[in-house]
Amino acid sequence: MNIQRVWQLAQFELTRLFATKRGLLALSAFAMLWLMILRYPIGHAVPFLSSPEFSGVAQQLAGNVGLKALASWPQAELAIFWLIALYSFPVFALFVCSDQTVGDRQRGTLRFLSLRCTRDETLMGRFLGQLTIVFSLIALTALATFCVMVYRAPELFLSGSLLAFTLVIQLTVIVMPFIALMAVLNLISSSSRLSIVLAILLFTLGNALLSFASSYLSAIEVLFYIFPGVQLLDVAPHENVPLILWGLPAIQTAALLALGVFIFRRRAL
Amino acid sequence: MSTLIEVKQLSKSFGNKKALNDVSFTIDAGTTTALVGPNGAGKTTLFSILCGYLAPDRGDVKILGQPLRHPSLFGKLTALPQDAMLDPRFSIEKQMSFYGALQGFSKSEALKETARVLELVGLSDNHHSQINELSHGMRKRVCIAQALLGSPKIVLLDEATAGLDPLHAREIRSLISTLSDDISFILSSHDLAELERLCDHVLYLDQGKLTAHNRNAPVGQSKYITLQLHEQYKDALERLKQLSGVLHVTQSQNKEYIIEYQWEFEQFDIHLLKYCYKCNWQYHQLVNGHTLENQLFQKD
Repeated sequence: MNIQRVWQLAQFELTRLFATKRGLLALSAFAMLWLMILRYPIGHAVPFLSSPEFSGVAQQLAGNVGLKALASWPQAELAIFWLIALYSFPVFALFVCSDQTVGDRQRGTLRFLSLRCTRDETLMGRFLGQLTIVFSLIALTALATFCVMVYRAPELFLSGSLLAFTLVIQLTVIVMPFIALMAVLNLISSSSRLSIVLAILLFTLGNALLSFASSYLSAIEVLFYIFPGVQLLDVAPHENVPLILWGLPAIQTAALLALGVFIFRRRAL
Repeated sequence: MSTLIEVKQLSKSFGNKKALNDVSFTIDAGTTTALVGPNGAGKTTLFSILCGYLAPDRGDVKILGQPLRHPSLFGKLTALPQDAMLDPRFSIEKQMSFYGALQGFSKSEALKETARVLELVGLSDNHHSQINELSHGMRKRVCIAQALLGSPKIVLLDEATAGLDPLHAREIRSLISTLSDDISFILSSHDLAELERLCDHVLYLDQGKLTAHNRNAPVGQSKYITLQLHEQYKDALERLKQLSGVLHVTQSQNKEYIIEYQWEFEQFDIHLLKYCYKCNWQYHQLVNGHTLENQLFQKD
């Protein structure tokens, strides 16, 4: 695998979001949505969590779902950001990364590419490009949240910047298998929409069938670990999270990409 | 002469249909090869396998001594695939220079290369256009341009001039003819007159089976000339048979005669034209050897 070609493919993916009309439109919609999130859930929930009248009730409630530690963070904006981003970015990644190769395959553009780079390089380049896009969006939203927080409490600048950086890295690791899953689904479906439908079916019907089957045979519960995001509820408290739960997305990503390489090498273009 | 492509016992099936059945051939450097056959004969399947888009069921393919899809072929083997299109979200220049960068050019070199190949196909004014803003013919020319980026050794063109207006089809033919000293082209087309003009080697595929024809190879102890007359002259067949040096004459179609003559007969073509003048026959075309159409479809 030629790293330079992989990087060129990844760089070209960045221009898909930042240098095309459609990409800029999607970026504007994303920015507007996050402006609303910053203005209301993050901007308003913080005084709510910090007020002495409600903090007891809020902490009690948060503690019941394993989030007690989060409610006590001095960087309260980042705590709310973490909770929203933890669940929204994986879903967002499914949609944003729904067309990694399928559109180009249907149009025949992959035929031009395959005479200039290997299929493995195409798959990896596209994955890395999409990951970089999602990483930049996570970083931008974290930066915006950080700014809101520093505006309220400038003394949190140092501790907040370290925490924001950690959250960005952790969120990026968490979305990795979702992007890799879409890379695989792109190889077996005929459109990006169908890839999204397959992903939804996997997370709903697949999950339900596995739950049903595991009620008869508990040994197959281990299969839940093939689902990206299986650990989300466990990592949400952000404290005392076993290291394996941070490593799980990386393992899932590697397995999904290996499966993608296997399928792509055998697929007709 | 070095071998560019060597195909041995290649087979590919789609369900019960055999698209390619035990196909073997070689293509040498410096030849322009025509791939001919009826619809569904397996031409596009063969192209797709040579380009690495499809995996064969059986057989062995070596291109420039390397197996299919080998990274050393990047930039050396290029193609105009049938029904393939560039991404409509980016300008032609952006995508072509990206392909150039993948082939190892620096950013500025890739831009220069893009300008060069777009000029070759007559699209110098369309650098910043997006592919869906162009007509069908212009899209095809863009796709031909991408196949010429860099210094390819083998270019496969699937139906290169289909859908082009006569002027641009002529320009593309002229371009192929000019570049064929440095690049070995493999052309698939239904236009036999076009292939006749450009190609010296013919691969004829029918129902997945292949026969190869070397258009310039002498057959036995005789040579052939194909004479097309302007009209159907009375007793032309009989009178041609009486011409000195002639071994056999057949009428391939109305006004067209295939003349077999002794291979040692020098300047037979001049002799024949003088005879036409003497008989007061207007000739339409004189082909040295068989026409491609007769070569492929003449049964006797």
